[in-house]
Amino acid sequence: MDLGAVVPEMILAALALVLVPVAGWARAPRWRTAPAVLAGLGVIAAMGFTAPMLWATPTEAFCGTYAVDPFRAAYQLLLELGALLTLPMLAAHFRGHAQEPHAPIAVLFALVGAMGLAASLDLGLIVLFLQMVSFPSYILVVLARTDRRAQEAALKYFIYGAVALAVMAYGLTFLFGLTGSLNLRAIGAGLAGADPAWVAVALGLVLVGYGFEATVVPFQFWAPDVFQGASAPVSGFISVVPKVAAFAGLLRLLLEAMPHGLSSWPLLLALLAAATMSWGNLVALRQRSLKRMLAYSSIAQAGYVLMAVAVAERAAGAFGAVGFYLLAYLFMNLGAFAVVAQVERAGGSDSLRAVRGLGRRAPWPAVALTLALLSLAGIPPLAGFAGKVLLLGAAIDGGMAWLAVIAAINMAVALFYYVRVVAEMYFAPEERATFAAPGAGYALSTVVATAGTLALGILPALGLVPIGLGTNLLR
Amino acid sequence: MLNAAIFLPLLTGLLSLAMPRRRADIVRFVALAGSVLTLFAALALWAGLDPAGGALQWRTTLPWIPAIGASYDVAIGGLSSALIVLTALLLTVVAAFSLRAEDRAHAHAFLFLLLGTGLIGLFAAQDLLLFYVFFEVALVPMYFIIGVWGGEQRSYAALKFFLYTRAGSLAMLLGFLALYLAMQPHSFSLPAIIAARPLRDAPFAAALVFFALLLGFGVKLPIVPLHNWLPDAHVEAPTEGSVVLAGLQLKMGAYGLVAILLPVLPGTVARFGWLLVALALISLVWGALAALAQRDMKRLVAYTSINHMAYVTLAVAIAAMTADGDVQRLALDGAAVQMVSHGLLTGGMFLMVGILQHQAGTRDIGRFGGLLGRAPVFSLLFGLLAFGSLGLPGLSGFIAEFQVIGASLVLSLWVAAVVVLTLVVTTGVYLRLLSCVLMGEPTAPPRLAPLSPRELWPVVTLIVLSVLIGVLPGLLVPAVNGASQLLARF
Repeated sequence: MDLGAVVPEMILAALALVLVPVAGWARAPRWRTAPAVLAGLGVIAAMGFTAPMLWATPTEAFCGTYAVDPFRAAYQLLLELGALLTLPMLAAHFRGHAQEPHAPIAVLFALVGAMGLAASLDLGLIVLFLQMVSFPSYILVVLARTDRRAQEAALKYFIYGAVALAVMAYGLTFLFGLTGSLNLRAIGAGLAGADPAWVAVALGLVLVGYGFEATVVPFQFWAPDVFQGASAPVSGFISVVPKVAAFAGLLRLLLEAMPHGLSSWPLLLALLAAATMSWGNLVALRQRSLKRMLAYSSIAQAGYVLMAVAVAERAAGAFGAVGFYLLAYLFMNLGAFAVVAQVERAGGSDSLRAVRGLGRRAPWPAVALTLALLSLAGIPPLAGFAGKVLLLGAAIDGGMAWLAVIAAINMAVALFYYVRVVAEMYFAPEERATFAAPGAGYALSTVVATAGTLALGILPALGLVPIGLGTNLLR
Repeated sequence: MLNAAIFLPLLTGLLSLAMPRRRADIVRFVALAGSVLTLFAALALWAGLDPAGGALQWRTTLPWIPAIGASYDVAIGGLSSALIVLTALLLTVVAAFSLRAEDRAHAHAFLFLLLGTGLIGLFAAQDLLLFYVFFEVALVPMYFIIGVWGGEQRSYAALKFFLYTRAGSLAMLLGFLALYLAMQPHSFSLPAIIAARPLRDAPFAAALVFFALLLGFGVKLPIVPLHNWLPDAHVEAPTEGSVVLAGLQLKMGAYGLVAILLPVLPGTVARFGWLLVALALISLVWGALAALAQRDMKRLVAYTSINHMAYVTLAVAIAAMTADGDVQRLALDGAAVQMVSHGLLTGGMFLMVGILQHQAGTRDIGRFGGLLGRAPVFSLLFGLLAFGSLGLPGLSGFIAEFQVIGASLVLSLWVAAVVVLTLVVTTGVYLRLLSCVLMGEPTAPPRLAPLSPRELWPVVTLIVLSVLIGVLPGLLVPAVNGASQLLARF
């Protein structure tokens, strides 16, 4: 048995299973935070077991179905970090809520699924883990609130997800049919002689599933409603963990099963990237709800990342760029959601007006939100800037200068809606008191996310070194 | 010492943020002390500069992002050190002028000092990515300065300023990335790129990079079709913001043209030389004529800035198009002096307009009159600044414009004729300003309080320096040498 290969996943899965009954018993108010704290400690322990794999020699476990390589380690660390940053603000947000003990469990289950997806080399496991990411996410959305909007969001998310993942599973059967194998590497060897038309069909169908998770146009329609309906910490989680997992899975699928740009996926992905970033940014311009705006922003950000995925085989730096950008995105996006969560909790609204005058009322959250938004807009010296330089450089290096130009135009347009929030916080005359809800959980998430955004921007090497380990050694 | 000059403003800025909440006076003092210290550091750099030592003195190189070959690489030559002294000087002027400002003093001090770090770092950066980072670090604080302390339309003006510059700087970033990828091995190092000239044999790519960089620097300079943000930003910015915006931020574009675009792509600049000349002439004429039509004094000065900075564009075009070393030197000398001179004179002009506005509550030149009799000191300073700006011999503006016009004779008599013609128009602009405000029937404001020391001394310092340069151009020899050393590099 190769159980040594799945220690982090086992820790988290076991913890989640134990916490299910514990959450039922923990009814006294002072015990209600226990599951969140235990979950956090469990994630830290899992990170401790994941990190050494960054230096591992790439091998396979469980008859070639599960990868043990630095790529997996790097992406699993990203996912664990995302969950770890979400847990404190989730705990703060659900404080006193009936479902307070249950929220961290859903996070753990989703995390295990996401981590499995980053390591899967087998079509069956891919389907399984994709579902395992999605189901806890549906639950998190509806767990949040009892109001109709949350229920509608969860239902929409569920139906979209179920259909998208079913279509993707159908696409994977084509790959099996063409090659007679479920293993990505065997498929990669077998597809070379297959009928290109069927390969293209399979690729298109598979992209539906990954496109759904990563909010790639035209499979992004669920995101704005779900982000708005869910509570802000949950939206933050959904905007990060499933997305990172989808990019990890997509990279592995493309590079292992469809090497050498089979059925011209680089061009297809480049077009999708251009469409995704342009759609996200243009629609974000019109939003008045912060969560909805951040939803469209996260669609646009996915487009930027996809740009480097498209040149993953052609440009030496593309691989590192994707990983680094996702790391930067994780910090800045969760930082933004942490502050929005505070504002929402205090004022009951996430509209643009809700942050009016925040600069005076709550200077520190306002500074954190400003830094997160400027980083999303790509202003140096913040993490998003370093990431965008890497992405643009990769696109030009990969012979897609046109895509880099489209991305740069998009980044210029995007500044408008990010900065509008900043202007609302600092420039607009105050009308009423705007506060940010207090809570150590919010503060913890915000501080860590902001520190990460700043540190990665000033010294990108902090993130580039581990990411570089994880990318140079795939295959 | 150079690193001290770059990071002193940032450190004192952070220090001022840490001051007690209700003590604006301490914050102001910390900001002033930080600016003065920076000025001393800048002067020490200037004094320690070897006039014949090239453009890479005081160099520090540290690895920054080894994975992509970007490094923290700063060094200065004559031109950079002159602009760094100017930056520190105007920072000090602004800190002294703002000694009384109470509104959110902590953030005010921090933003100006952060901006100082961005500007000094930008003038010293020898790595394109680092240059870009400092470029944006100098940009963002100005957005907040306009947006928080600005006038009625501040939110709109700040947004417009930010979007315009950001669009330009993203184009510039793409250009830098193309240069980086064209280098073998990939490198952002400016001296290495200048030495290797990677796009020498790729005219199409070179043209694309040229236009990308021109867009970035042209928005900032500004060159005319890209200038639309400038009048709004200047009008809405608070007085001290306008001083920095005109005196320093426009130099970011000018410095980029002279120290990056020209040495990196001299052949391409020459190829599109006539385009640059045309843009420069349009900017000259547009700036002058638009200024003539303004009633708002800030807007008027803002438009003359477009006119003044066009000399730099013209000088760059001339330097690229002619092979005669003397003419090149003449043109770039003129550009270098113009950058410093415009910083002094326009900075002073915005201070004066700000003082007037503060006392009279308006900037409409029709509302003023007869100040000469009632406020002689103010009128004297105001007049000196105006005459300096219109290019009167004896002040620094004359030296700069004379040199550029002289060099432009090489291109064509007609170019020189157009430039001289716009000089006539700008003379008209300033004489109209003077006659409206200083002469005529005494109207508004009923009383003008005497200048307080914090208002008087900054302006006097700027004027004295301008006169010094005008009378003894030799003072700027290091800067001038710096410009021609840039020339020697291609």
